[in-house]
Amino acid sequence: MDNSVTLEITIISAEDLRLSHRPLKKNAFVTVRSSTLDDSGTSSTSLDRDGGSYPHWNEKLQVALPASARSISVEVHCKTGTGVRLVAVATIPVSDFCEPADYLHFLSYRLRERDGKRNGIINLSVRMKGANPFGCRAQRPPAAPPTTWARCEERRNHGVALGYPVGYAYRV
Amino acid sequence: MGNCCSGDVGGGQQAVGGGGMGGTASGLAGGSKNTDANEAIDHLLKSRGLGGLHSQIELSLSASNLRDRDVLSKSDPMAVVYAKRRDGQLEEIGRTEVVLNSLNPVWIAKITVNYQFEVVQPLVFQVYDIDSQFHNVPEKMLKVEEQQFLGEASCLLSEVLTKNTRSLSLNLVRREYGGIQPRKLSELTVRAEECVGSKTIIEMVFRCSDLENKDLFSKSDPFLLISRAAESGAPIPICKTEVRKNDLNPTWKPVILNMQQIGSKENPLTIECFNFNSSGKHDLIGKVVKSLAELEKLHLELRGENFFVPTVVGHDHHNKILKGQIFVEKFFESKRQTFLDYIAGGCELNFMVAIDFTASNGNPRLPDSLHYIDPSGRPNAYQRAILEVGEVLQFYDSDKHFPAWGFGARPIDGPVSHCFNLNGSTGHPEVEGIQGIMSAYMSALHNVSLAGPTLFGPVINTAALIASQSLVNNQQKYFVLLIITDGVITDLQETKDAVVKASDLPLSILIVGVGGADFKEMEVLDADKGERLESSTGRVATRDIVQFVPMRDVHSSEISVVQSLLAELPGQFMSYMRTRNIQPLC
Repeated sequence: MDNSVTLEITIISAEDLRLSHRPLKKNAFVTVRSSTLDDSGTSSTSLDRDGGSYPHWNEKLQVALPASARSISVEVHCKTGTGVRLVAVATIPVSDFCEPADYLHFLSYRLRERDGKRNGIINLSVRMKGANPFGCRAQRPPAAPPTTWARCEERRNHGVALGYPVGYAYRV
Repeated sequence: MGNCCSGDVGGGQQAVGGGGMGGTASGLAGGSKNTDANEAIDHLLKSRGLGGLHSQIELSLSASNLRDRDVLSKSDPMAVVYAKRRDGQLEEIGRTEVVLNSLNPVWIAKITVNYQFEVVQPLVFQVYDIDSQFHNVPEKMLKVEEQQFLGEASCLLSEVLTKNTRSLSLNLVRREYGGIQPRKLSELTVRAEECVGSKTIIEMVFRCSDLENKDLFSKSDPFLLISRAAESGAPIPICKTEVRKNDLNPTWKPVILNMQQIGSKENPLTIECFNFNSSGKHDLIGKVVKSLAELEKLHLELRGENFFVPTVVGHDHHNKILKGQIFVEKFFESKRQTFLDYIAGGCELNFMVAIDFTASNGNPRLPDSLHYIDPSGRPNAYQRAILEVGEVLQFYDSDKHFPAWGFGARPIDGPVSHCFNLNGSTGHPEVEGIQGIMSAYMSALHNVSLAGPTLFGPVINTAALIASQSLVNNQQKYFVLLIITDGVITDLQETKDAVVKASDLPLSILIVGVGGADFKEMEVLDADKGERLESSTGRVATRDIVQFVPMRDVHSSEISVVQSLLAELPGQFMSYMRTRNIQPLC
């Protein structure tokens, strides 16, 4: 556990969920998975009773995030008379919330079904607790380009990489 | 009820409930009840066409070291407050009472001003010594021309409001001495206070018992409609609850009311209970008329109030008392944080500018170019946009160091850059003041050659980086990036990705389109006109941070363009602060 951090994920709500092309009626719940190996990497919300296809949970989940994880997956399920069915999934890159550290990130994602079909949207907030072993983007002052009329190309390329763990490559 | 139509009814019921609660379907209603309450009020104000930030401000005035103009006693001062209009004309807003025999008066009368974030509001204060022969004349009737002039001061309303103490001291100057001032200057102090009414909200939970059954095959589907008595005509609806299905003893979700909408706690409110009908013709189950104070009393005494229905018997109107009762389960009064609370607490709006230097603007040396600098001094479209947005925003930024960039041009012997510092410096994009932006812009025109294509991504990412760095330093700051452009962007997807990413940061983006190009794509970025923005990786913008306006007619002196651009800014600012439950400093 020493090289993992805790994620505090609040599953806020979802919008416009559909199950077999019909608006979802009730009993949607969300499972967050940060690791498939470990139970501490999975956590679920309770069932939403009356939100229908716009469920609202506002429930805080805690999962451990292994240092080797690149992303977490958020799965929307639905409990029906015949059992639990997977509605859709969103994959969240760790880079979307590892920086700035200890900041409450409000994030929304497009949900997709197993075959890639677009489904609704999920709204959540993520806070990474404790030390940040991901070290994401190293803090560095704006680099001074060689000539005057500074251009941001360099910084721009940097900007595209924004959020990708720099220290990450060394870890894998 | 068949399955096929239940969806529709659900939609209709949502719509009924939506009037009051607003945020239920919008997803990011946020963590606390408080957030819901605030969103409900924003929704309410918006539905009344009060989308921008309008807040009632009370000014209190005091002065010191006034000149003594009376021979046997001291001066008897009165202050008059004027709003200075665009054309320079003064319009009186209000005046204080006359304080007798004082050179350091503290006036009691408050002057009420309507604060508008998106407008520069210059105020002029004049102090007069009222001659004793007028002492029995009401202040309003006094002719200031007949009085002794003691001095004049002026400031902008936003200058007072952005001060930590919300008060500002100004020197009172006298014009008649042609600039020669006595050694000891008279001083006027202006204090600004937001009216309590616009900050107070009331949260109530209603429950009913023994409602009459109106449906044939099932029980009633009740909802409440709360209206305020109007001075003339029909009552004005303020709020609706959601529909409770098949419930004769319903408890609804909390109802949130704003004191400004109600007026006072003594104003009677009409609460009507209806049975929801999908046809839209809801039947009245019963009603009560109670003021907020009475509702609070019902809550404290745990008492119910019987509904009545107005009936006509012959020619007489009388009210038939029903068995059904209404209870107030919860009554909670609270003050909400306003935009001005954050500003006075020291939260800053940091202004940043990015200017389009692509070739489509035309050769800057030719008069038909959008970048043409008119020797007569008349500002071009870019200069006008900077000036008009800048003059509103500059007072919310205490150090007035504004980062300024250009994009789409080739700096001297270099490749095309999509984000270069306007001042030509290598490391520091910041310039000083609005004037600094203007001179950096003009010097950049001489130092770069216009090129293309039009890319927004690099500029937005650079601004987002600055915004995210402020979070690391734990400062309470909000950033406003103004992008002025003449044309269609070539990197729409990259721009969308950058905007989606930035929607999680304390940043808003204002885009001004100049020239006659087709700006359809900009409308896509401005999410309040369509769907939420989605990035190429499937991430969706959590809130709307882009505001776009085209500045079509450059030569007309239309100011509403910039006003509409800025009007949504306080709302975007508040949505950021509220979802994160960030409290004002101080």
